[in-house]
Amino acid sequence: MSCPQYLLISAYIDDELQRADKTAFEAHLPGCSQCGAALAEMRSLRTAFANVERHQASYGFAARVMARTAALRKEKIPWVVPRSIRFAEAAILLIVITVGILAGKVITKSSLAVKSTNIALSLSLDMFDATPPGSLGKAYLAMTEVRNEK
Amino acid sequence: MILSVQRSEDINLIKRFKKGDTSAFEEIVLKYQDKMYSLCRHMLGNAADAEDAAQDVFLKAYQALHKFQPDASLYTWLYRIATNTCIDYRRKPVFESLFGHFEEGETLIHDRASDVPSPEKLYQSKQIDRALQEGLGKLSPKLRAIIVLKEIEELSYEEIAETLDISMGTVKSRIARAREELQRFMQKFREQNSDTSV
Repeated sequence: MSCPQYLLISAYIDDELQRADKTAFEAHLPGCSQCGAALAEMRSLRTAFANVERHQASYGFAARVMARTAALRKEKIPWVVPRSIRFAEAAILLIVITVGILAGKVITKSSLAVKSTNIALSLSLDMFDATPPGSLGKAYLAMTEVRNEK
Repeated sequence: MILSVQRSEDINLIKRFKKGDTSAFEEIVLKYQDKMYSLCRHMLGNAADAEDAAQDVFLKAYQALHKFQPDASLYTWLYRIATNTCIDYRRKPVFESLFGHFEEGETLIHDRASDVPSPEKLYQSKQIDRALQEGLGKLSPKLRAIIVLKEIEELSYEEIAETLDISMGTVKSRIARAREELQRFMQKFREQNSDTSV
């Protein structure tokens, strides 16, 4: 198409031309057979499109979409927890572990001191009484002691 | 007026959704399902792919709706998701394969219940229907999207510019180009058809 006005036809049939352009184009139309023919052709295309069926979503479409969004929510639950909450959870866990370790150290330290004394004592011979109570030796010593006192 | 009412309804639905009301999203789906499905159907050319793509559109919307800014309109935002989904959906020329499987008697042109077309008219409308379908399939996805948004979804140039995030000048030139290509295709189709019928 050689006519420069041809480019305006599409916007003209959509009524999207500025008022001045529209008036100028309408003045041009009667004298230009090329534009006249192109306009008729474009109008017939519009008519064909106007009769095209507007399809509708099938029955239950929304329900199917909602089922998929529900599945998405289930999948996403661990990840939809806000980052701040996840950070707080991690921090609490870290604090608990640290406190546990420190408390463990203190407890083991004090119990170790007691334990070491007990071990030392248990290893000493003082632990063993040469004459355990109720034995003959103990009775003999008691008698000797009474005799000596006399 | 109608648009502003629709917009305020949409804003309320989005607010409810952001507060955790999932039924608000269901209302959005019910409100826009036919528009999204129709767009996908004309972009992809068959019912099965259109159903999957339209579902994907709403899933994407569901995941991104909390970021949606109410200064944009919900339906142009949904149209944008739908257009991009369809462009990405299949890089192969689906229309060509579709056309081969197009069932006898199934038409793109909707026969109005009140019309009782004569056999000749019916034949003509089927011819136009075939030409339109094939022609749409031959267009590049970008041109197909813009002509479907204009001619079938009946969006204004401004709405198309917002939907596709392009300038008004680009909208004008793309629509003109799409029409020109379609006309050329239909002209060729008519010629071929008259050759075979003779």
